[in-house]
Amino acid sequence: MTSNFKTRPWFWIAVLAATALVLPLAVSDPFALDIFIRVLLFAFIGVAWNLMGGYAKQLSLGHAAYFGLGAYTSTILLIRFGISPWIGILAGGVVAMLASLPIGALCFRLRGPYFAIATIATAQVLMLLFLKFRDFAWGAEGTTLPNLGDAPLMMQFESRAAYYYIALGLLTLGLAITYLIERSWMGFYLVAVGEDEDAAEAVGVDTAKIKRNIYLISAFLTALAGTFYVEYIYFIDPNTAFSFNVSVEAALVSIVGGIGTLWGPVVGTILLEATSALLQSWFGSGHGGVQLTVYSLILITVILWRPSGLIGLFSDLYQRFAHAGSARAKEVPLDG
Amino acid sequence: MLATLAQAVVNGLLIGGIYALVSIGVTLIFGVVKIVNFAQGEFVMIGMYISFFLASSFGIDPLLSLLISMPILFFIGVLVQHFLIRRVLGLGDMPQIFLTFALSLLLMNVALLLFTANYRTVQTPYSELTFHIGPVYFAVAKLIAFVIAMLLSGLLYLFLHGTDLGKAMRAAAQNREVAMLMGINPDRVFSVAVGVALALAGAAGSLLMPFYPAYPLVGQVFVLMAFVAVVLGTLGNITGALIASLMMGVAESLGVQFVGADSGLIVVFVMLLLTLALRPNGLFGGWAR
Repeated sequence: MTSNFKTRPWFWIAVLAATALVLPLAVSDPFALDIFIRVLLFAFIGVAWNLMGGYAKQLSLGHAAYFGLGAYTSTILLIRFGISPWIGILAGGVVAMLASLPIGALCFRLRGPYFAIATIATAQVLMLLFLKFRDFAWGAEGTTLPNLGDAPLMMQFESRAAYYYIALGLLTLGLAITYLIERSWMGFYLVAVGEDEDAAEAVGVDTAKIKRNIYLISAFLTALAGTFYVEYIYFIDPNTAFSFNVSVEAALVSIVGGIGTLWGPVVGTILLEATSALLQSWFGSGHGGVQLTVYSLILITVILWRPSGLIGLFSDLYQRFAHAGSARAKEVPLDG
Repeated sequence: MLATLAQAVVNGLLIGGIYALVSIGVTLIFGVVKIVNFAQGEFVMIGMYISFFLASSFGIDPLLSLLISMPILFFIGVLVQHFLIRRVLGLGDMPQIFLTFALSLLLMNVALLLFTANYRTVQTPYSELTFHIGPVYFAVAKLIAFVIAMLLSGLLYLFLHGTDLGKAMRAAAQNREVAMLMGINPDRVFSVAVGVALALAGAAGSLLMPFYPAYPLVGQVFVLMAFVAVVLGTLGNITGALIASLMMGVAESLGVQFVGADSGLIVVFVMLLLTLALRPNGLFGGWAR
């Protein structure tokens, strides 16, 4: 009765997990399932971004670089060498990690807004390069992925539910990693870097190493999302794989939900994707600009009135609700 | 070969003048208010649409509509400072970056809703006009844009160094606390700085209109250039931003000429990354760091 999230989190997480697991059994409408998959995927990208942007406050606007590298690595391995995307997804993650080292070495020289701009530039350079690689990466036209029918070993499935469970698995992985990092020394170091980099350095935190390590993890996870996405939509081109929208949405869902919190990106994605689905049903998909207009208004509102994100709003409400509940629960025996 | 080279350099310098107006605006806001305005390109876009509609509805020449677009954008700048930027000052990186970033997204997509993605152009008597000195051709519209851009930059310099308000702005840029102790009203100085920066973006828009199409995402081209120029020219340094913008224009033009039509941006970004690797503080010292 009086349980709240702070004292019995595992109970609620179990409820949430059970709901997530049975959802595809209850909902068979492919359109709805597609929205759920998008929610899980973008929440996962948000979680990956949040590790670096939320905890260490390294506000990247170039995570599409790793999304795209993951997508291209697995697709090239699949089409040119016939290697299963299950291996490709890991290879993509490793490529992204390797790429994050030089990119980080350059971008971490800058702070704040200019770090953000430098990351935009790196993602753009990669996109422009892949537009040029006609010989092994299909240039601007991109390519469709071979449809192998129902081939679970090649990450291709007849039923959408399978994609749903993969996306759910990815999100769970991201949340588990965030949870573990949050409770480790690394988590404390990250927050210290995020609060005040100079102060952290002064008390002996190796800020360069911490930033490099979290960038490696964040890049790896983002690349997994890239592979999954192209396997899901069966198509790749530089504009999809290195889309600026991916970089933006990764940051957006985290900020709207709650930057530097475990569940922030999940809350943010659910809110934004729900808004987007509503807008689509009202306006149809023909009106380019409606969705991002609303997103940017939400973002401005959140920044001006609640920069810590909306997750705090919900836990406040929940606390009030739980307290009201417990107060009433105590009153009942007196009245009776 | 030499003629091609000279032609590429001239083309680059001329467009570099427009980049300069945008990047001076970015660096002015950064220097005084300590905010990077991600929406600066969208104000160029607004300037373009103002000139476009004045030209298509009232037949006003885009160069003349400069006198209308600049005051309108100055006023918008004061509003943006008062209602948006002022509220996130001192709140840390996240709100400061994402507020103007969200504003940029908002303006782009509202423009998309209002004006559709169609390209809008204005034909003026001088749009297609060229003349040549030796083998090198000059497009008249671009040359006029360049000259006016340099004039406006010069006026800004005189304003910052010759007027009390300009000096107050530079003082606030160097040390906000001390400037306030000396009796400078930061709200007023910040409003003027953002207003002037946006007016410059509006001017860039009007100057572009005779030879460049207006569309909702047009600002992205210019803001990316401006960011690179501002980093290259040392953050907050106006002369640095001006010189770097001209360099960027030339680099882009050489890239297009000698590497391939779609390589301009690669050259620009590579320049940015090289600068970061070799001289992270930019090429010039700054008065406002």
